[in-house]
Amino acid sequence: MPHDATTHDATGQDATTHSNTTHSKTTHDVTRHDSAFLDDAMLDVRFPADGRVPVAELLSRVRGSLEVGDERVRDFLTAFGRRLLRPALARRHPELGSLGFFLRPSELARTVESLDREHVRVPRGLVLHIPPANVDTVFVYSWALSALMGNRNVVRLSPRSGAVSEVIVRTLRETLGDADPVVAASQAIVSYERSDAVTSALSAACDLRVVWGGDRTVTEIRRHPLAPHARELTFPDRSSFAVVRAAAWLCAPRPARVTTAEGFVNDTYWFDQAACSSPRTVFWVGDERDCESARADFTDHVERAVTARGWGVDAAMAVEKRVSTYGLAADGLAESVEFRGNALANVRLSAAAAAPRRWLGAGTFAHARLATLAELAPLVERRDQTMTHFGFGREELEELARGLAGRGVDRMVPVGSALSFHRVWDGVDLPAEFTRLVTVVR
Amino acid sequence: MFRLTAAEKEAVLLPELVELTEHHRAACLPYRRILDAVGAAPPYERVADLPWLPVRLFKTHELRSVPEDQVFRVLTSSGTTGQRPSRVYLDRAAAAAQTRMLAATLREVLGERRLPMLVVDSRSVTRDPTLSARGAGVLGMMTFGRDHTFVLDEQGRVDAEAVKGFLARHGHERFLVFGFTFLVWVHLRALGADLSRGVLVHSGGWKRLADQAVGNAEFRRRLADECGLTRVHNFYGMVEQIGTVFLEGPDGDGLYCPDFADVVIRDPNTWQEAPTSVPGLIEVVSTLPTSYPGHVLLTEDLGVVRGVDDGGLPGKRFEVLGRLSRAEARGCSDTAGDTVGQS
Repeated sequence: MPHDATTHDATGQDATTHSNTTHSKTTHDVTRHDSAFLDDAMLDVRFPADGRVPVAELLSRVRGSLEVGDERVRDFLTAFGRRLLRPALARRHPELGSLGFFLRPSELARTVESLDREHVRVPRGLVLHIPPANVDTVFVYSWALSALMGNRNVVRLSPRSGAVSEVIVRTLRETLGDADPVVAASQAIVSYERSDAVTSALSAACDLRVVWGGDRTVTEIRRHPLAPHARELTFPDRSSFAVVRAAAWLCAPRPARVTTAEGFVNDTYWFDQAACSSPRTVFWVGDERDCESARADFTDHVERAVTARGWGVDAAMAVEKRVSTYGLAADGLAESVEFRGNALANVRLSAAAAAPRRWLGAGTFAHARLATLAELAPLVERRDQTMTHFGFGREELEELARGLAGRGVDRMVPVGSALSFHRVWDGVDLPAEFTRLVTVVR
Repeated sequence: MFRLTAAEKEAVLLPELVELTEHHRAACLPYRRILDAVGAAPPYERVADLPWLPVRLFKTHELRSVPEDQVFRVLTSSGTTGQRPSRVYLDRAAAAAQTRMLAATLREVLGERRLPMLVVDSRSVTRDPTLSARGAGVLGMMTFGRDHTFVLDEQGRVDAEAVKGFLARHGHERFLVFGFTFLVWVHLRALGADLSRGVLVHSGGWKRLADQAVGNAEFRRRLADECGLTRVHNFYGMVEQIGTVFLEGPDGDGLYCPDFADVVIRDPNTWQEAPTSVPGLIEVVSTLPTSYPGHVLLTEDLGVVRGVDDGGLPGKRFEVLGRLSRAEARGCSDTAGDTVGQS
């Protein structure tokens, strides 16, 4: 009987097993308490300098005493940020430009000053960061804020992390030359293949564990206990949407619509629309006629921006988009599916409640209509993170936020700002979480 | 079964496929919704104008055009890791038709009578309770042979004695050799046996051979030189279009489409039909899928039409060039394959 030609090939894939760190195989069945064994597990150090060490040795190496807003760390971060802003680098990797901008002295000062002064604020201690493999810059934001708060940090960089992380690590090391030695002493970036032993040892040792990178990673990491006093911050799978007031769109002058469409394209195409803050559905608020014409005009502008920026998708992504959009149609969730080339696909949802949360492929937008902004409230889910908006006033947005009462949506930012990192992320004030408060009453 | 020229085939297939499209539109609600959403509607002037479904939809959705109580067999493909298998629903008529048309297709190279059959595999693959695609493929082909003899023992080692016995019994007459392309390449040449009376039918993809820089020409030349095998037919087919196989012509000049099927190579940028010798995605069309909307399917295989009405058989001759890689996103919530735990 004939079969899909390639499924047979799967039979050969058993040969490709995951390579393990030297000891992870032997320690697999060992209980956590057998610490001597666990301490032997090896990891690769990438920062401050290359090396391969047992996890116990790494933990004893990361020392040094910093304070909240430590000048030595500030100097290091601003020097690092300046290097990221060098034109050649920022041109090649624009996301490094954004990072460099985030690390400018005034922003760091604002971050430190934003902390309330009622208590004495001290670092948490040792912070373990587990960033996702596929967004290169996330780990830097997380680490930089934690370091600024005076913590010792161990960042676990995936061995499969991208080229941009390489550039980041290299730049960090270059910056070390002029930095106070306490930076090299207190900060480490490491890398290791799947290893329960290493993850367990690091988890048991840290005071705060920060896990970015999706439900599966969070669940996986949670198998490894923390010390009783330690805390955890998790950033699981999120999804995002945009809301546009149709009348506001139609009334906006052309340059504003052009800029907003460009912002929307940046929000979505940059990370193949798979970033947690990239919108997938656009809700149009207004009467049917306005929404129809606003959506049509918006789509034209988005198409032009996509073409102008040269965003395209490859054949595999084009097929992915067909599979996901046809799938929505098959489920009765899509009234129409329209392709403008392979780069831009628009789905008109049969009902606003059908807004898909899952990734549909780069440049795939679901559209739905709402009569009023308030109609959004019952549709919001816990996993909804960023609401990019156009045409709404601050008051009605705040009213919506209060009405949602924490059921979802942690950010409301204008279209074009979906990817801008802020120290308050996913509803969490990161600098505050990275510190402890000491009550002093005289 | 391989008689129609390209123009004749277009004339025969178009009305049948148009009718099938409307049949499935009426009988399969998810299919109708897809056609409505993308705005597909007659008239269709050419086979290439017919709306296609991405073949992966059979993994994600239940697509059938017969009521549940008329489903006679559900075929599943072996899904790769993390993927659900395809499910293909056959009623009695569709099941009978696919068996009949597959037999008719293979008769072109095997002849009318069942031939003694050498299977380049191990009997154990046919006994696995969770039958692999490989096992199902072997079982399916076994119906076209008799005195089945397995080249590999239960441990997957070459069973030279069994082959010797088979050749002693049948080596003087026409016999069938079947196996997966890579296994044939690895094990058959090592046998050192005279297989010159054999007809080899093989399938399963070229990926592992391509890794060794072995193409079809080299494959055929070495098998001829080392085993005397000159009647060699690769085939291409998939569970989502069960019963339809695209069979390599006697001269090895490409895969040919049986009279009830065809391929359209599509440019993945414009989705228009690609000209001869320009590679694209393979769309397979067949009149066999009556109980599920699988008559026009866009595969995720890359292929190229090498020629039309210019080879050993009439019609298009094409080549499968490989598989499209899966799309991967750079997003922050996707950490597939990168969990930090698990040794």
